[in-house]
Amino acid sequence: MSQLFVQFLVLLGISVVAGIVGSLLGLGGGIIVIPALTLFLHLDYRLAAGASIVSIIATSSGSAATYVKDRLSNIRVGMFLEILTTVGAVCGAFLAGLVKGTALYAVFAAVLLYSLIPMGRKIATELGWKRPSTSIRRQPPMGAPDSFAVKLGFSGSYFDPAEGRSVAYSLGRVPIGATIMYFAGLASGLLGIGSGVFKVVALDTAMGMPMKASTATSNFMIGVTAAASAGIYFLRGDIDPLVAAPVALGVLVGSLVGTRLLARLAGASIRIVFFVVLAFIGLQMLFHGLGVTL
Amino acid sequence: MQDSPPGRKAKQDAPGSSKNDDKARATELMVSVVLRSGVFISAAVIAFGILLLVAHGLKGVGNDLGAVGNYPHAFGQVFSGVARLDPISVITLGLLLVILTPVTRVAVSIVAFAMEKDWRYVVITAVVLFVLVVSFALGKAGS
Repeated sequence: MSQLFVQFLVLLGISVVAGIVGSLLGLGGGIIVIPALTLFLHLDYRLAAGASIVSIIATSSGSAATYVKDRLSNIRVGMFLEILTTVGAVCGAFLAGLVKGTALYAVFAAVLLYSLIPMGRKIATELGWKRPSTSIRRQPPMGAPDSFAVKLGFSGSYFDPAEGRSVAYSLGRVPIGATIMYFAGLASGLLGIGSGVFKVVALDTAMGMPMKASTATSNFMIGVTAAASAGIYFLRGDIDPLVAAPVALGVLVGSLVGTRLLARLAGASIRIVFFVVLAFIGLQMLFHGLGVTL
Repeated sequence: MQDSPPGRKAKQDAPGSSKNDDKARATELMVSVVLRSGVFISAAVIAFGILLLVAHGLKGVGNDLGAVGNYPHAFGQVFSGVARLDPISVITLGLLLVILTPVTRVAVSIVAFAMEKDWRYVVITAVVLFVLVVSFALGKAGS
């Protein structure tokens, strides 16, 4: 068997695992697959990002299809904010061509470590270190939509099967949310990730959308955001088909498997293991980016 | 009777909103179908390209993944390669179809919002499509 074929299978295997882990943890596949490709396979960051961005579009499109059908994604909110994320993504993709590879490692590490914060909070709550404050704190600012939200028709509702009722919401602080969305797009285009964490922060924390709708709307937006930088990556030659194809198929399959495993494996212990591993990987990428060798 | 604004409001909303709801539902289903079929088609094309590659005995590719090789990275190259059934070009076409799936979703949304007669969102969605098209044009200019 040729060396290339072996490498192809290795890439496919790593990507399946990345897809599973990504969906188990509620992080994107990109944030898992990029360290795997760069740190372990020593691939150039640009090629890893090119492969990752394609895999993100595939998984986001697949899951968004379900979320939209289930009316969890708010199409109008997503559509409007995509103006900001796509412009950010174009800026980010060009910026990626200008800055040094090591700088991308450092920025990626910062985003990865930041992404772990909500996961750490969740683990702390599950272990009883922290009171579950979410239901009290996360009430959407009902009756407080700003003038943008009114003009743009930013409200919605979704059916929550767990609570057995329809949850209605309205949104506020649109300018703040929109600004965060620009930077979410910038991070996506710069690093080749979906930057779902930032999108959720904009929707949930800034604008007051309920968490379930925020996650689904963020997912809906990730594909379009990533498509705005993927064209630039492709035309620049950053999408190597023999890297991107196994990564895209692998992450896609992995995330489908992960979604099915989710119900059975979503215990706190498994998340703690991944939390520690990802924190370690984040620090390693940070050191690599800063030129520190251990 | 006079102190039941919620009830009155619901009565007023009911007929109009159910009609709007049907159209909004149609939009959602259309978007959902575009996304799902885009993923299926592109995954199938990529898989077909990989089969072609294996059938060709992995000829015409370097022996090292990730060495920036001479793979196609312009639309013309891809299409002429696909016409020759060149495996790498077929795989690249599949990857391009992945990228074009959300772009198609945006284009279809314009039509869907127009059917709902929601002109504000027709404009908003057209702006997003414009940014996507410009990104490809800029990428070409910058490459």
